Amino acid sequence: MKTKAAILWERNTPWSVEEIELDPPKAGEVLVKLAASGMCHSDEHLVTGDLAGATPEPPLIGGHEGAGVVMEVGDGVFSLQPGDHVVFGFVPACGRCPSCADGHSNLCDMGSLTATGLQITDGTSRHHVGGKDLTLGIGNLGTFAYHTVVNEASCIKIDPDLPLDKACLLGCGVVTGWGSAVYAADVQPGDTVAVVGVGGIGANAVQGAKLAGARVIAAIDPVEFKREKAMEFGATHSHSSVEEALGALAETTWDRGFDKVIMTTGVGNGDVLGEAFHLGGKRSKIVVTNIHPTAEQSIAIPAVFLTVFEKQLIGSLFGSGNPRKDIPRLLELYTQGQLDLDGLVTRTYSLDEINQGYADMNDGKNIRGVLIYD
Amino acid sequence: MKSRAALLHGLGQEWQIQDVEVDPPKAGEVIVEWKAAGLCHSDEHLITGDMVPPEEAWPLMGIEEFWPVIGGHEGAGVIAEVGPGVTSVAVGDHVSASFVPSCGKCRYCSTGRQNLCDAGAGAFLKGMSTDGTTRHHLADGSGDPMLFAKLGTFSQYSCVSVDQVIKVDTDLPLEAVALVSCGVATGWGSATNRAAVATGDTVVVVGIGGIGINAVQGAAMAGARQVIAVDPVEFKREKAMEFGATQTFTSMEEAFPAVMEMTEGMMADKVIMTPGVMYGDLMALGTQLAGKGGTIVVTGVAPITQTESSVNLFELAMWNKEIKGTIFGSLNPRADIPKLLNLYRDGQLKLDELITSRYTLDEINTGYQAMRDGENIRGVVVHG
Repeated sequence: MKTKAAILWERNTPWSVEEIELDPPKAGEVLVKLAASGMCHSDEHLVTGDLAGATPEPPLIGGHEGAGVVMEVGDGVFSLQPGDHVVFGFVPACGRCPSCADGHSNLCDMGSLTATGLQITDGTSRHHVGGKDLTLGIGNLGTFAYHTVVNEASCIKIDPDLPLDKACLLGCGVVTGWGSAVYAADVQPGDTVAVVGVGGIGANAVQGAKLAGARVIAAIDPVEFKREKAMEFGATHSHSSVEEALGALAETTWDRGFDKVIMTTGVGNGDVLGEAFHLGGKRSKIVVTNIHPTAEQSIAIPAVFLTVFEKQLIGSLFGSGNPRKDIPRLLELYTQGQLDLDGLVTRTYSLDEINQGYADMNDGKNIRGVLIYD
Repeated sequence: MKSRAALLHGLGQEWQIQDVEVDPPKAGEVIVEWKAAGLCHSDEHLITGDMVPPEEAWPLMGIEEFWPVIGGHEGAGVIAEVGPGVTSVAVGDHVSASFVPSCGKCRYCSTGRQNLCDAGAGAFLKGMSTDGTTRHHLADGSGDPMLFAKLGTFSQYSCVSVDQVIKVDTDLPLEAVALVSCGVATGWGSATNRAAVATGDTVVVVGIGGIGINAVQGAAMAGARQVIAVDPVEFKREKAMEFGATQTFTSMEEAFPAVMEMTEGMMADKVIMTPGVMYGDLMALGTQLAGKGGTIVVTGVAPITQTESSVNLFELAMWNKEIKGTIFGSLNPRADIPKLLNLYRDGQLKLDELITSRYTLDEINTGYQAMRDGENIRGVVVHG
């Protein structure tokens, strides 16, 4: 079938919205008509090349934060049928590998097969333009399109009464941020928490820390609009820089340092992490959620404090959550009013406006921009 | 020094207000002038006998005579005098009582379980934990009383070990401090710590008194999606809603089908048992309210001689459930009493709203009758 998609032909060039040819789903695959897609910073990393080596090479279709309706299922797909509403997990969850069996579906072994951008099932492409194969960006999803074909393991079925234009955010940013606080940092009632960087991930780390009962949540971001948003999401303090936050430790933590520090900046940076490391107190957990460039080889932390203060440096993918449990669970919290999704969406765009959307993100205007497909 | 105190002289009796002579503190001891004392159900357990060891067990426990008892184990006050060698508090300091001592040196204190401090042994003996001798004497010369939990906060003054006072900031109202010292910490910790309520959990709290209401408050603060409060008294169910409950029911029988429906058959993640008296037959529905992998926390005080409870052990095993006891909500007094008071100061923990009525020491029997009649979430004795 024919559909429209945003293609990245080369690094550091704009997204190009073009008609593509989409094959029917093969065994284990699903054709989905997308309703909406979040515009996550990780797709920008594809443009800049920060993730070179770990992500597919252009030409590729971007987008990994999507939700839609199943149109067709391939052979052997039993968990879904046409008409089902689904959110894509940006990491697949096969349910059978050692990581899935251990309760860590965010590390599903199938995830390693997404780096090629080709279908997990057989390593070929369903997406073509002018006879040329296209890869799919992060997570083998290709949500910057009206339709896509993905693996069954990437689809999380949700109740059909939920709004897909909000549910799409659960595929990546919301669970990643919320889980960074709730699971990776293990925020406890009464904790003091610092969130460094308040974008689509950090705003949800603030929400997660709030729901988990943190006493102090310090949101750190240079952009005033984002600091204001953070206060709406539950932050108790805000600072424009890590340096400023370090100067306010007496006020926020009685100079004990934060119990939990969550790194959610646009691009990870070893020097910033080194500075933020000092925000943590004894036995603090410092969670690295933001993506550091694959080429970066060192971080500037004084490692002695890992020992003498037992500080813990913890990486987190997808907020250390499990797509099949946490996507539905967070949607329940949304319907109950304990999770704000509406307030996350700053602006919506049509697919043709995608480059404007990313320009707005880079200008610090958006917590989250969302593409809406009519 | 002279003090007035509320004492019990035996099972089933009323509190008697009597004059007591308090000796000066010895090494490791302080005199506290109690300003506020909570009317906790555990003191009532002395009257009913639920918390009184049977007489045949006394010799084994080293008890010569249990009665009389100065009541009160939930309190806050001001240090009036310090014994030799006491450096952790000074005269004029504001302190919270801690019914569980925390010596800071025993195996339990040194492994983050101060609620189980070894200095808690001998709680039913009349002598001080420091040297085994008594500091309190009835003014009429009729004998020496035991102090409940070695605190006796129903006395204007008492002599206690430094292991049982926690220094607090002087800007905090002492009534609020008093509540945190037992009921608030016990209930809150039962939810946040022992049950380890997680974001999105479904939690059932059975029994909404001074403990249960704080289990509700703790569960809500820990991000529970549903907090279901069970109590037969309408006023308590209404209070529970103010403290964060999402649904209430009059009984576990009534709650059971509703919990099944609201969880799509999965039942609750955590059940917290905080009834006034923890009768064993309550555990039948208590454990059934929890789903697969569920946790049932037993906080309420059971009759001391009760040895049976109704638990379906087939379900316990097949559904991987766990039953956990807790004292003081499994918290650490020295870390968690100040922490809870910080939350109160920041407006994140309700304490003032817990106090239903205030009483003078002379009105203490009125206060306990109100508790029995279900009129109080928490009554507080304010020492004049």
